[in-house]
Amino acid sequence: MSLRTMRAVMALAGATLLTTALAACGGSGDGGSGGGGKTLRVFIGANTQYPTQQQAWEKSIGDQFKTQTGATIQWETFASGSEELTKIQTSVVSGTGPDVYAIGTTFTPTAYATKAFVTLGDAEWQKIGGKDKFIQSSLGISGPDPQHQIGIPWVARPFVMIYNTELLKAAGITKPATTWDELTQQAKQLTKPGQYGLAVAYKDNFDPWKFIWGMATQAGDPIVDGKTARITDPAVKKAYQTYFGWVTTDKVVDPAAVGWTNPQALAAFAKGKTGYFALTSTTAANTLDASAVKGKWAFTLLPTVPPGATSRPAGGVEAASILSGDNLVVADYSKNKDLALQYVKLVTDGPAQLDMYKIFGQLPQNAASAQSLTSDPKLAPIVEAQNKSVSTPFTGAWADIQLALTNTVVQSIPDLAGGSVPDAKLDSLLAAAQKTAQSSLDRAK
Amino acid sequence: MIDDRPRGAPGEPAVPAAGGDEPAGRRRGVSEQHRPLWLLAPGGLLMTVVIGIPLLLAVYIALVDLDQYTLRRWLQAPFIGVQNFVEAFQSGLLHSIWISVSFAVIATAATAPVGIAAAIVTQNAYRGRAWVRAAFLIPYVLPSFVVASVWRTMLQPDGIVNALLAKMGVTGGLWLSGPKAYWTLILVEIWAAWPFVYLMALAGLQSVDNEVHEAAAIDGASWWPKLRRVILPHLRGPVLLACLLGTLNHINNFTLPYVLFGVPAPDNVNVMPMMVYVTSFQSLRFGLSAAMAIVSLLLIAIPLFVYLRALRLDVHEEGGRR
Amino acid sequence: MTASASAAQVRKADRRVGRRTAAGEAHRLLPRPLLVIITVFLCALVVVPLAYILLASLNSDVGVAGGEFWPSTFSGASYARIWTTADLSTGLVNSLIVCASVAVASAALGTVTAYVLVRYTFVGRVTILRALVGLQSIPGTLMLLPVFVLFSSAGNYLGITVIGTRWGLFIAYLTFALPFSTWVMVTYLRGLPRELEEAGRVDGASTLVVLFRIIVPLSLPAIVVSGIFAFLLGWNDVLFASVLTQPETRTAAVALQVFGTTQEAGALPVYSQMMAAALVCAAPVVLLYLVFQRYLVGGLTAGGVK
Repeated sequence: MSLRTMRAVMALAGATLLTTALAACGGSGDGGSGGGGKTLRVFIGANTQYPTQQQAWEKSIGDQFKTQTGATIQWETFASGSEELTKIQTSVVSGTGPDVYAIGTTFTPTAYATKAFVTLGDAEWQKIGGKDKFIQSSLGISGPDPQHQIGIPWVARPFVMIYNTELLKAAGITKPATTWDELTQQAKQLTKPGQYGLAVAYKDNFDPWKFIWGMATQAGDPIVDGKTARITDPAVKKAYQTYFGWVTTDKVVDPAAVGWTNPQALAAFAKGKTGYFALTSTTAANTLDASAVKGKWAFTLLPTVPPGATSRPAGGVEAASILSGDNLVVADYSKNKDLALQYVKLVTDGPAQLDMYKIFGQLPQNAASAQSLTSDPKLAPIVEAQNKSVSTPFTGAWADIQLALTNTVVQSIPDLAGGSVPDAKLDSLLAAAQKTAQSSLDRAK
Repeated sequence: MIDDRPRGAPGEPAVPAAGGDEPAGRRRGVSEQHRPLWLLAPGGLLMTVVIGIPLLLAVYIALVDLDQYTLRRWLQAPFIGVQNFVEAFQSGLLHSIWISVSFAVIATAATAPVGIAAAIVTQNAYRGRAWVRAAFLIPYVLPSFVVASVWRTMLQPDGIVNALLAKMGVTGGLWLSGPKAYWTLILVEIWAAWPFVYLMALAGLQSVDNEVHEAAAIDGASWWPKLRRVILPHLRGPVLLACLLGTLNHINNFTLPYVLFGVPAPDNVNVMPMMVYVTSFQSLRFGLSAAMAIVSLLLIAIPLFVYLRALRLDVHEEGGRR
Repeated sequence: MTASASAAQVRKADRRVGRRTAAGEAHRLLPRPLLVIITVFLCALVVVPLAYILLASLNSDVGVAGGEFWPSTFSGASYARIWTTADLSTGLVNSLIVCASVAVASAALGTVTAYVLVRYTFVGRVTILRALVGLQSIPGTLMLLPVFVLFSSAGNYLGITVIGTRWGLFIAYLTFALPFSTWVMVTYLRGLPRELEEAGRVDGASTLVVLFRIIVPLSLPAIVVSGIFAFLLGWNDVLFASVLTQPETRTAAVALQVFGTTQEAGALPVYSQMMAAALVCAAPVVLLYLVFQRYLVGGLTAGGVK
């Protein structure tokens, strides 16, 4: 009877489905790829500047790893600071997630505070090739002190400015700016119809807070003072005002920049009609050399004198850049710790490190590889920036603070687009950020 | 066991018999003998485990100081009573409630006339009506995340909406952040949700008897008075129901703001589901977010309660209809 | 419930009205010009964005970014690229597996539970019925939290990994699929005449036999509908899937959402691929709707919640 057959068919279909679901329930990464091999899960930032190259790189590393260890790598990427943080937090809390994380150096303190990552002892350093393999100053953000380190330096991105040598020469500027005021001044000189003095990425998820931190730290406000957040300090307000002012009052930035991410701002600079590109690193080199400004650009240090001053005040730090880059951390809950360390060794060895530079422009943290690159005169400002890099405060609350500083910019975007950020609004946003930051600091254990 | 409950042809749900207060001695279609209540066990057990326990746990979490530091031993997390609720209200929960409620009410108020109009124009048969009817349902049938992703793409500063507006000489500006974000949320929700009111209104229209139409024709009533005095009152029940349910769904809608705006969302679209999500999975303040979630539950309990009562009311109203 | 009773008459009423078009003047609700204007307006409201989506998916990324409505060149390249750039195949497969399992489990359990609720009376019956409706409206965020805590504990204390597996998602989806399916079955079973069951009982059949031999075949349409609705609830979900999945167990919804946010941070917008991916994710749902249209329309108003 048709009803009976229909029922039978449905029952069979249902049973098959459920069995498939049952059989396919293994999602936690061991032996998931249907062979004898294991799977290593790696969490890295999505390279939005070079997406296709990143896919190629992932494949190449994956192949090398497979040949070396027989295990496959499964990649997971994040595209924003909040995604990064959410993933770290939820994985730590649920005890399941990626085995190796490549996180921003500024997030290392937050990762450390969760106490869920492997503290690197002698055995671990040995397995990845020894502590001496790395640039020693970079270890400053690996942990609160040398005995408690979780972060393995992977790549560095010291932040610098890029300027268009032709445009500056045409405007009669002999030396790139060394103070923020001078930068604004020069940008005004460089701004004329069809040309802008400065390219800034207001909508980027990772850029804006670095300006604020830089200007504030140079003025003597490290944002976090012990257990107190100092976001409502005048130095921070001045930093935001300067940062917003470029597009609202000084008008040295293309109004479209309000919607730019870093790659988009770089693309604008690459057209050859902008004087300075405010926050970038060696990652821009490949893009620029394939564009209209090839041969016409150079690196220079970011200004180290806070806005409103001609020289650094007492207590101000000569912070040319944050201690920037990516650290690798291994999760404590991982069942593949040895595999993880092998992966770390693979990507911190010479060849892989040089590849990171050649393809993506990220500076190696492998001391030998870095040494071989410093002979390039173009990189002199980069080396200087690296030497003058200052680490962001090492507190578990830093990720929240960084996001709060970024959020202040996010909430101001509409006003920026409209032409001005009212003082009162900025004050209230800063007060909100202060509150978030302080409560985060209070709870940080 | 004579069944004297009114019923229609097989396959059509008749007037529901479960009124709750059946007069004693006249069981309307339900039996008290040979009760295989054990059959309730699988479904009931599963629902208890999968729904009941988490609900109770949510209440427990809201009363406890649970964050990423205390989660490992959550059974021993310190009990702090209503402190989470107090902190919730101090962290902008009221603002969030206001945004959620105003968003839901405006969206419902706007979808109602559109849905009613759509039902009215498809009531009478004409060639191609089936196509129109199918088209009308599409925004509702499309998955919410698809609708949100697609509108997000269209509303980008360099997206098609701004491009078309520019051709007409209007600057679009920013839709996904800034003061327009709130209205963007409402407009997209209206686009996706009006077919629901349309469906309910259509059902209501179908229940209008022929005699009513003919009586109105005999009286010589022209279309507007007929519409207003005869047809629309019939729609009141279904449309009110649709509005109630619609409001509930709008308040609970997480997918649309999340996919449309991402996290962190602009301040003016920080609806309650978003706020709870960010508090739980970014700040990892579970206790605080559980308190917020419970407040949002209490918020929808009001229309929900009305809806539950309305279910019974409708039964009695339509009781003798057929 | 009025809505379901009335909605189920839609088919019947259609036939009635169709047969009486000559006498349909009495039924006219609006003057023709007004009717046309409103219909055209509403259709445009729906069809224009949809047309754009379809056209954009057949355009190139550059073309869409340039603000073209009608593509200057038609190309299916976007449809080919999304499988690699958005990892859509994994997402679709996961969604299918989880949602289908939820559909089957929900429909089966819902039918059994609904049968008892409709045919027999006992203490607390009405409360349970009311609870079924109420449970459908619980905010997802309220359930997600304790579910997450419970699953994490299972991982930490018992060593059973639940988060990141399809099982975890399956259980989480049952949370809202079960009450919904049960309610749809309750609404339907109410209308089922009792003669056949009584005939079966007179012949000495036990409850289980009655259930499987009589009720289930009779209510297959409703069972299918309740299964489909459970499927749709899972397919549409973003909240639970965004927290409870890892890349290999990601559902289509999360894959699409992640694709959107990742690409936006890049230098080149990939709008055409977004549209193509969105259409691919919507295709199964639209297909289901087209095939089961008649039943779903009735069920939508019966269930009342999406």
